[in-house]
Amino acid sequence: MKRSHLIAIAAIAVAIGILISASRDMTTYANFAQAAQKGDRVKLVGYLVKDRPVEYDPVKDPNFLAFYLRDDAGEVRRVVLRAGKPQDFERSEQIVLTGQMKGEVFEASDMLLKCPSKYKDEEVYVRSEKE
Amino acid sequence: MEYIGEHLLPGQIGHAGAVLSFVAAVLGAVSYFLAEQRRLHPDALGWVQLGRGAFWMHGLSTMVVIGALFWILVNKYYEYYYAWANVSDDLPFEYTFSAFWKEQQGSFLLWSFWHIVLGAILVFRAGRWEAPVMAILLLAEAFIGSMILGLYVGEYRLGVSAFDLLRQTMEAPIFERADYLSQVTGNGLNPLLQNYWMTIHPPTLFLGFASTIVPFAYAAAGLWTGEHRNWLKPALPWALFSAAILGLGILMGGAWAYEALSFGGYWAWDPVENTSLVPWITLVAGIHTHLIARNTGYSIRSTYAFYLMSFVLVLYSTYLTRSGILGDSSAHAFTEMGLGGQLIAYIICFAAIAVFLLLRHAKTIPTPEQEETIASREFWMFIGSLVLLFSAVLITGATSLPVWNKLVQLFKPDYVGAALKDPVAHHNRYQLWIGVFVGLLTGVAQWLRYRERNPVLWRRTFVRHMAIATVAAAVLTALNALWLNIFAGQHVALLFAAMFAIVANTDYLISFVGSRTKQAASSLAHVGFGVLLLGILATGLNKRWISANAFAMEGLIEGMGAEELNKNVLLLKNAPMPIRGYEATYLGDTIERQTRIFNVRFRRKDEHGNFTGEEFVLQPNVMYNREFTQVVASNPSIKRYLTYDIFTHISSLPKAELDPEFARQQEDSIRFETYEAAIGDTIFTKKHYLILDSYTKAPRHPDYHPQKGDLAFGVTLRAFSLEDSTAHVATPMLYLRPGKGAFSLAAQIGALQMRVRLMEASLARFIDAEEALQYRPFRLKEGEEITAFDAYRVQLSRLSRNISHPHYVPDSGDIAVAAHLRVIAPEGDTAEVAPVFLIRENRVLHLKDELFKWGLHFRFENIDPKTATMTIAIAKAPEQARRIPIEIAENAPRSDYIVLEAIVFPGINLVWFGSLLMLSGLGLGAWNRLRSRDKTLQDSMLSVRE
Repeated sequence: MKRSHLIAIAAIAVAIGILISASRDMTTYANFAQAAQKGDRVKLVGYLVKDRPVEYDPVKDPNFLAFYLRDDAGEVRRVVLRAGKPQDFERSEQIVLTGQMKGEVFEASDMLLKCPSKYKDEEVYVRSEKE
Repeated sequence: MEYIGEHLLPGQIGHAGAVLSFVAAVLGAVSYFLAEQRRLHPDALGWVQLGRGAFWMHGLSTMVVIGALFWILVNKYYEYYYAWANVSDDLPFEYTFSAFWKEQQGSFLLWSFWHIVLGAILVFRAGRWEAPVMAILLLAEAFIGSMILGLYVGEYRLGVSAFDLLRQTMEAPIFERADYLSQVTGNGLNPLLQNYWMTIHPPTLFLGFASTIVPFAYAAAGLWTGEHRNWLKPALPWALFSAAILGLGILMGGAWAYEALSFGGYWAWDPVENTSLVPWITLVAGIHTHLIARNTGYSIRSTYAFYLMSFVLVLYSTYLTRSGILGDSSAHAFTEMGLGGQLIAYIICFAAIAVFLLLRHAKTIPTPEQEETIASREFWMFIGSLVLLFSAVLITGATSLPVWNKLVQLFKPDYVGAALKDPVAHHNRYQLWIGVFVGLLTGVAQWLRYRERNPVLWRRTFVRHMAIATVAAAVLTALNALWLNIFAGQHVALLFAAMFAIVANTDYLISFVGSRTKQAASSLAHVGFGVLLLGILATGLNKRWISANAFAMEGLIEGMGAEELNKNVLLLKNAPMPIRGYEATYLGDTIERQTRIFNVRFRRKDEHGNFTGEEFVLQPNVMYNREFTQVVASNPSIKRYLTYDIFTHISSLPKAELDPEFARQQEDSIRFETYEAAIGDTIFTKKHYLILDSYTKAPRHPDYHPQKGDLAFGVTLRAFSLEDSTAHVATPMLYLRPGKGAFSLAAQIGALQMRVRLMEASLARFIDAEEALQYRPFRLKEGEEITAFDAYRVQLSRLSRNISHPHYVPDSGDIAVAAHLRVIAPEGDTAEVAPVFLIRENRVLHLKDELFKWGLHFRFENIDPKTATMTIAIAKAPEQARRIPIEIAENAPRSDYIVLEAIVFPGINLVWFGSLLMLSGLGLGAWNRLRSRDKTLQDSMLSVRE
């Protein structure tokens, strides 16, 4: 057998090995019910419940944010994130969280906001001085 | 309807240009294709000429499109959606460029622009390769051109035009008016893009993207023509150039992220970053196999594969970032424009060309009979390229999960989809080992030879240098491990690999290269790679949050003791806060256009907590939207040192500062109580006490900008809490501006949650009081004394022409005299006043002075020059007028703070320096190859002529 074939076989073996081990870093999307059932870290997509309070009082603790999220199954749960509140948090359309259920609360370690594209569906600005 | 004031011409020109440019690209691609296919026929030259003509036509019309779009943006023609959405009247000119390539059409035009520039060079210099290479390039141009066509083919819209009118894109009642344009103004540019990096990063990155077509085209041409060796030489400088520029573009993106975004870093393994890095990695792998092929004839097949792959990956990256498919895995927001289908066609077409050519011609690719020896440099270079391929596959695989999910969902609609638990940790974990392998390989392979002629001598040299490098790298690793606190096995391995790469390549540079700059290029690039690895380790592992105060924050965080979670610190205005290694003080803020800049002072402390004397002010800022109702961007401020950076940004502000509606509600909820006090009195409130210290007619307040004619007064109070004796000074004021009204400016004492203000009504009380005063005149000479005015004694101590009266504004021709009076109260207290007697333009004016605390008012009425006696009039105000009504609230929420995140990045300069070194190595390589190419070029020109 030629050496190049050996290298090719070895490379493929290594690649398969890496891919198998890398697949452990994967998780699935879940809603609150599934997250509670799995008990493991999941990705969760939901919407900020705007009529429930957003707790963030930097005078008390600048690293504590709690709010209510509605998942795609319509369930509402409290979410706690130990980090500062992003500036455009209230504007977010959709929130993607990574974390796990701890009792009744979803403890998130990472949050990604999807904000409406800044100028989409916005009204036409009207020059105020000409009115 | 006939609309007024619209400029439709540039749009029509631009639109026509786009159509012409597309047609010309198709024509050119076909002509060049036929020119190559019929190379040995007599009509080949005709096809080449037609192809060239079409290319120039395409180039010219694309430039017209670009010019038309610029014209619209520069002149702010808001009748076009593109201008309306991306510029505004107050946008500085330099950001017109950022606005130009912000949307998809503009960035496609930018991409096209660079293809044309590269194409023009190829037309002149590619010689024998012109026809096949230009056929591929123009095919790519036809695809890009189709993206901005905006034509309907039946029901299907082909491309999105940059010249759509606003009134066609949106529905609004305003468009029912013929003069709607006079009412419309632009939206302006997203503040995040108003950054100088955004004017230079996209053009560089797109030049990088565009240039990957050249190695692709040469590789395709090599397969197509069957001349598997001949293309290697002319393609090499292009590949090197492409890798250098694409790398620079990626690096600039990192620099922009670091300086303008607030996530705190230069690299976040975001899909957008990953998909631009992957083509660069495969391109670099291709360059290595290319060098092997040039020197030995091995690896031609892999070189083909890598170059073809690189451009297809660039297209894939374009698809991922522009189709909106990344959705919830990327923080980058891209406007989705429904171009997904066309982008997929673009990818499939080029991927099909690549696969077809490879399969069809694989058999004819020459490979040397004899196997490569293990001790040869090219063998290890090939292994290195394979490692890079692994890296590319892993990154692409993980980044493509959303695509995979979408694909599966096509067949299984209820599929939930997979995602990475923690993308950053995942990528770091695997790419770390890639870094280790590549680092070691660059060190070892450099010392191996392409074709060794004297194996015995060489082996001794090799072993000696490897031993030196290993020992030196081990020592440096140990030292740096201590500096950077690196002890985990995999990190030590990477550190050693980095050091080994640096040492071995530097050694090679010194021992062998000397004046032969050709080899210097690769050594430089490899040293740069080692330095980059070192920088990544230093910043990645030792990124420290200094914005934490373990003591001040203790107990505040529910159930959380972990230090690393304390990333933010609250800074109260003017209250120094000890943080790790520094004392931070929020000094205040200023507003400039839509930007609010916060001044934060840092004073460094040594291990014992003493100040070292070093201090600096950082100015992180936030940008508001045009209505000042929302913060749209938080921009960092960085203090740079040689060995580390301190990176700060505002991570939060009081809600009242962000939300005017909330601020209004909050303001309404504040309860003021009214108190009356004379100077010297103490006011007792529910929780505090205040002393009214003084009264002034020349008050100062941050929000007060004095104007001529203002009548202003203010007081100074000292407020104390009942617990401690710290005095908090408050200076509320009132002013009356003729024609505008009376205004009260409150003072806030954040620490006591106290707000103090003067009532507008009290102003009237003072004005009325002035009119009600009963003056009594006294005549006296300098040095004399009025012995009894209501038990006060008043001495005229001296006269002076030096006027310091607060209301006196000197004028030429003035005759002004101040009477300095010394007033002695019955209890023995004394005070000074100086009323002024003024003759201006034959009119006599009196500038009065007063002693508010005693209610005494003084006027300098007259001077009798003959007897040298002065007339001084004195009045005493009633008790009531000396009492000032003051409103005090004790539930005013604090809004005088910022929440700051501060991070120390050690070794960040190693990242920049290492990357730049690596890229200049690539650039130098391209330059060297280009110079040595000229001779061959002349040969090939001759062969064309034959």
